[in-house]
Amino acid sequence: MAIDFSSSTGVPEDPAAERNVRLPAAAPVLDPGAPSDLDLMHGIQAEDPEALSQLYDRYNGIIKALILRVIHNEAEADDLLQEIFMEIWNQAKNFSAQKGKPLGWMVTLARRRAIDGLRKKQAYARAGERLQTETEQQPDAWVHNATEEEISFSDTRVLVRQVIDTLPVAQQQAINLAFFRGMSQREIAAKTNTPLGTVKTRLELGLKKIYDGLKELRDEL
Amino acid sequence: MNFEEFQNQSRLYVIGALDLEELEGYEQARKDFGQKAEDFIGECYSMHEAFALSLRPARSSDALKERLMAMVRNRAKS
Repeated sequence: MAIDFSSSTGVPEDPAAERNVRLPAAAPVLDPGAPSDLDLMHGIQAEDPEALSQLYDRYNGIIKALILRVIHNEAEADDLLQEIFMEIWNQAKNFSAQKGKPLGWMVTLARRRAIDGLRKKQAYARAGERLQTETEQQPDAWVHNATEEEISFSDTRVLVRQVIDTLPVAQQQAINLAFFRGMSQREIAAKTNTPLGTVKTRLELGLKKIYDGLKELRDEL
Repeated sequence: MNFEEFQNQSRLYVIGALDLEELEGYEQARKDFGQKAEDFIGECYSMHEAFALSLRPARSSDALKERLMAMVRNRAKS
């Protein structure tokens, strides 16, 4: 069994329900003449709302999936999605094509915001837990820590996933906790009750395999 | 730190998994390796895109986009 990197929420979805809904493509194929991502970023830098509208249509599905994978809450994910696209609008002037592609920049920004949101949520949860203990209320009365949810499994969907699937589960788990939960090596070691050196090795080996695998894919295309 | 070790740490660095005590040595190596280091770090960031693209896209409502665009148009006007 492999850790599921493909489900946006980590919760198995109903295939029947999915057939009735049009999902955005994972990597959009642009119509001939359609503006590139870079054109749209330049439009946003020039304060053209239409450019943001098109960028939103192109990538809201991917960005929301990333947020959901971190915080596991639909309503909070929608709020964060809106905030992130406002931040894209406000921070577009800081984007430089020399440092990378627009999608990479947006994903980095979205991941940071989602992990910040998760940490705030965890802080609230810890405060709530303390309050519960102090007042001797029933445990689990109102605090639900999303980070403790089970990591679920489902079928492979995309090419990138093929690379990830080649990794041993322990490596996938370590990468999942680092990338989607923003944990350091020490935090992963504590959470998984694994020696720090082992976590370090798992992350290094796993990330190298993914990096090499993606490089190979790019070279083949 | 040799360049292979730097590459290993860079892959951790871009996903924020480098521990604090490793950061100082990493930043020094980054300076020492110069442009070669910056080029490699740039390549590592492509993993962010790949992780995001490995997820199944999620749905969001039209109302959310309408709210966002109303805010953006207001901001653009002011």
